[in-house]
This record gives sequence, structure tokens and C-alpha cells, in this order.
Amino acid sequence: MNGGPRGGGGPLVAWSTIMVALGLMLAIWSAGDASALLFLVGPAALVPLAVFSRLRPAPGGPRLLARVSVPVVVTALGVALAAVGLTGGLWLVLIGAEVGVFGLVWLAIEIVSERRRLGR
Amino acid sequence: MAGGAPVSRLAATDHKKTAAKVGIASLCFFLLSGLLALTMRAELAQPGLQFVSDHTYDELFTMHGSGMIYLFLTPAALGLGLYLVPLQVGASQVAAPRLALFGFWLYLLGGLTMYSGFLTDNGAGDDSWTATIPLSNSSGTPGVGMDLWVIGVALAVFGSLLIAITILLTVLRLRAPGMTMLRLPVFSWTMLVTTFMVVASFPVLVVAMALLLAERHLGGVFTGSTGSIVYQHLFWFYGHPVVYVMFFPFVGAVAETVATFSRKRFFGYRALVVSLLFFTALSMAVWGHHMFITGAVKNQYYSLTSTLLAVPAGIEYLDLIGTMIGGALVFRAPMLFALGFIVQFLIGGLTGIIVASPPLDYHVNGTYFIVAHFHYTLFAGSLFGLLAGVHYWFPKATGAMLRERLAKASFWVLAAGANLTFFPMFFLGYDGMPRRVADYEPRLGDLNLLSSIGAGVIAIGVLMVLANLAVSLRRRVPAGNDPWGAQTLEWWTSSPPPADNFTTLPRIDSYAPLLDLREREEEAAEPAVEVPA
Repeated sequence: MNGGPRGGGGPLVAWSTIMVALGLMLAIWSAGDASALLFLVGPAALVPLAVFSRLRPAPGGPRLLARVSVPVVVTALGVALAAVGLTGGLWLVLIGAEVGVFGLVWLAIEIVSERRRLGR
Repeated sequence: MAGGAPVSRLAATDHKKTAAKVGIASLCFFLLSGLLALTMRAELAQPGLQFVSDHTYDELFTMHGSGMIYLFLTPAALGLGLYLVPLQVGASQVAAPRLALFGFWLYLLGGLTMYSGFLTDNGAGDDSWTATIPLSNSSGTPGVGMDLWVIGVALAVFGSLLIAITILLTVLRLRAPGMTMLRLPVFSWTMLVTTFMVVASFPVLVVAMALLLAERHLGGVFTGSTGSIVYQHLFWFYGHPVVYVMFFPFVGAVAETVATFSRKRFFGYRALVVSLLFFTALSMAVWGHHMFITGAVKNQYYSLTSTLLAVPAGIEYLDLIGTMIGGALVFRAPMLFALGFIVQFLIGGLTGIIVASPPLDYHVNGTYFIVAHFHYTLFAGSLFGLLAGVHYWFPKATGAMLRERLAKASFWVLAAGANLTFFPMFFLGYDGMPRRVADYEPRLGDLNLLSSIGAGVIAIGVLMVLANLAVSLRRRVPAGNDPWGAQTLEWWTSSPPPADNFTTLPRIDSYAPLLDLREREEEAAEPAVEVPA
């Protein structure tokens, strides 16, 4: 069911081109207003996604993905704790970082075991 | 792990389950933020201070606006896309299921972080959803509550960004064979262009929030005469596109609803696709109209781009109306909500042209006219579009039909409430009532009372919708695969869809494969006509 056509970058390129044109229009009209640079943010963020999509098409076979992924939740909890620690104190940043790293290691183990099951 | 265990529900990677989590969380934040709005309207029912202090009122409108934008409408729009796009493009999963799950949790924890400010000494954030500098710096708003608001916004917006990336990658990478870009259903197109805007603008807000936190703790970031202007540029580069992030998915939902209940193919598909690309790019180029009164932006440019938005918007309206013309219209509840969206959003859109003109904006900026304008776009418009989508796809997601009479009654109550609440605000604003105040001149009392009564009517309408959801889930009327005679792929599979979405797929020759299939079957069933000798 997966492994659809690789095309699809067209709308992305068209949209980015319109963005750049609008940015140029602002830059010229406002005699070089720095805020026109913000127009480059959009295409800059989208192009890597389009390139990734083009260079690494989705695998056509079945995807043996974990139906439940607790480490993702643990990692998110770690990130949120560390972020709140920016106002709560260094101790909370450190706890959040530890939880986050623990979650990431657990996630890595989960992904490796998935790939083993797939025989890759 | 058992399928129904709480941990497996909270950590499930299936896009439908993640989307359901987003939907439930955003509904909770909607109810919470709605309660804050009701408290505000109770306070404003009469001139003078009745229930809350000025400071508490500041917290109320800040957390109401923040909750509705960061935690309800944006995630709800993306959640709808997360559920439906893989089904509409014929994929068995979303492109990066773990990333979507990670995004959901960041969004949820971000929302809880924002609201936890109410538990701190100085209360929650109270600088409106824009947190404009210098009001939001450490001397303007001291206290941990504002810090938690800033961190919560960054987490929630980053989470929404990750969900959008998974939707974008799904469209680019996981379309079924035959599903070319010009065969994407209209809703998927609106989601695709929405994700363009999200990917382009949301990172800027995350950076702005990081800089604001640095400003609050270290200082020296947004200083001097230009500090506030730089912050506003960064904020509104996100702040205006996000309005469209809360709009386009619902245009898609309304378009699917209108086509299905007009029993017709969508009118002007290619024109809509082109207009969506221009509309979304243009909507990234209008942020400066929020800064007309600063004198620090090129007003002519932003006025021109803002007014130009009327062109692609007009094309979309033309397509929606063109779809209905000549159709066999069926006025089921989703169609009523879709029509409510079309009519009421028009009021929001047309008043948007007024505020796109700098001289007119100078008069109404910072008044209730603006409050009326954006509530017509976001509540009377987008929320009705969301409800059209919810009523339309509820049978697909749950396998049960909603109660039609209750749904229709809730539509009329919500429509009456919305117009009673927000229409008087145009006159209040034009007469000079400033927004974000807990008290006002006695001469404005009657219209404010009317508006507060309307808010109560909205609350009744919301309760009716919730009651309908609860009753329909408890005493189920089976929906079948396709109760509406719909056109797109999600209606091919069972209701609710299985874990991998599809066991088979029909031939995909257009954006309406089920309609194609029905037409082929009808052609085949027609008896051959004898040619007279």
C-alpha cells in the first residue's frame, strides 16, 4: 500500500518561488528592509524536506513498526521537564535531560529490535 | 501489552490514535478556554468591576486567546489532518508515526505548562496571546507565570510543527499508486498547503519565544527603540499565518461536505489548487498589517498584499457555490455547519478588507471591531468548519452516527449565539470601546449585555454538541462504511478503519475515486439501448 509516487515536490517548489518573489517585492519596495529576509525562512525550511523525500523514497514493503512506543513519551517528558527547568532551576533541567537521554536510548533499542525483526 | 491498557493508548503510534489524542486534548483546552471567555463576558455584562480585578481580567483574556489559538484550533486542525490525510491518500500509516506522537506529547505538556501559571504567585501570563515587548519583559510582567507561558507556547507550537511535518511527508512519500498530486482530495490539498505555512512560520515563533525567555532572564535582546519592532516582526510572521492554519483545513472539510451533500463532483478543482498555493503564499506576506500603527513597516506593501487575499478567497467561494449550483442538495447536519461557515466567514473576511486599509485600521485598531472581526473568522467561521468536519467524519472515525435532530438543533443554537455575541462588537468597536479592558463607559452597556447573553447561548450550543457526542457513542447507531454516499478514499474502508487502514483499494483515476466507481457501476448497469433499424 505504501511506496507511492515520488513526485510531489512541484507544489513545494511553486510555493517557495512565490514566497521568494513576494520577499523580493518587499525588499525592493522598502529599499532593503531586513524583515524581507523572513521570506527566505519558508523555502529554507521546506527544501530539505523535499530533497529528503526525493532522495529517500518510502520503502515499498510492509512496515514493521512498534504499535506502542513508550520511549517517545518518556523523551517528550524529558524535553518538557528540561524546558520548564529554564525557569524552575538547573536541577530540573538536569532531571529533564536525564529523562530525555534515557528515553532516547530506549528508543534506539526499540528501533534496533524492530530492524532485526525485519531482517535488515 | 493489552490493546486497551492506558499506557498502550497513551503511547500508541497509529496515526488515528494519535489524532484522537490530539482531538481530545484540544477539546479539553477548548472547554477550559471557553470557561475563561464566559467569565469575561459575565464581567462585561455590566459596566464597572463585578467579579474580577483588572489583573485577573488580563490573565483571563491572555489565557483565553492563547488557549484557543495555540492549544485548540491549531492542533485541532492538524489533528483532523493527521487522522484523515493518510486515509485520503491511501496510505497504511502516517510517514513518521513516532514523530507525530512526540509532537502530540510536546503540545499537551506545553499546554499544561501554560495553564500551570495559574498556580503561581503572580498568576498566569497576562500580556495577551501576542506577549508584546516591553509589556512581556521581566519588569513589565515579573513572575514565573509568564515564564511558564513562554515555555509552554514554545513547546506546544513545536509539537504542532512536528505533527505538520508528518502530514507533509505523508503526502509527499506515501500516496497510493495512482494517487498523483492532482488526484489528491480537496481536504488533503488544504492540509498540504497548511503544512507549508506551518513549516515556514512556526519555527520563527519558537525562536521568538526562546529570545523572549532570554530577554526576561538575561536582558539585552529586544532593547532600544527597535527591540519591540523586531519582536513584532518575529511574532506576526507566525501570528498571521497561524490564522490561516486555523482556516484552510476547515475550508477543505467544508469543500468535501459541500461536494458530498450536493451529490456532485467538486467544481473548479484545478482553480482551487492554484488559488490555494497563491492564497497560502500571500497569507505569509501580510503580517505587517498588524503593525500599521507602528509606522515602522511599508504600509502600502502590506495593504496591497492583504487586499489581494480577496482574489484567491473569491475563487474558493466561487468553487464552493459552483459546486452547489445544479446539485441535489441534502441539508444534513454537516451541510448546515458547512453553510454556516460559508456565510459567517464571509462577514469575517469582508471586515478583514476594512482593516487591510491603513486609514480605516488606524480608527479601529485596538478596539472591539478587531475582536468582532477575528471572532467571525475563527469562531463563526473556523469552528463551524471544524464542526462540519466533525459531524461529517464522526461516523467514519467511530462507526456510529450522530443524532441528526440534536445536531441540527445545536447548529441553530450555535449560529444564534455566535451572531448575538460577536455582531454587537462591531458597533462597540466602531464607537471606540477598547479591547482588553474589564470596565467601560456606561453608554456601551446595552450592546455588551447583548453580547454576554449571546455567550451564554453559545455555551448551551456547545453543551448540546457534547451531549450528542456522548449519546451517539453510548447508544450506537451503526454507520457502515459510507453513510453519506461520499467521494473520497477514506469512505472505502471500514468504520472505524482497521489498524493498517485498508485491505484493498479501488482504482484511483481522480480525486473522487468512489464517485468514479459509482458512475462506472451505473454505466455498467444501464441496459443497452436498441438501435432502431
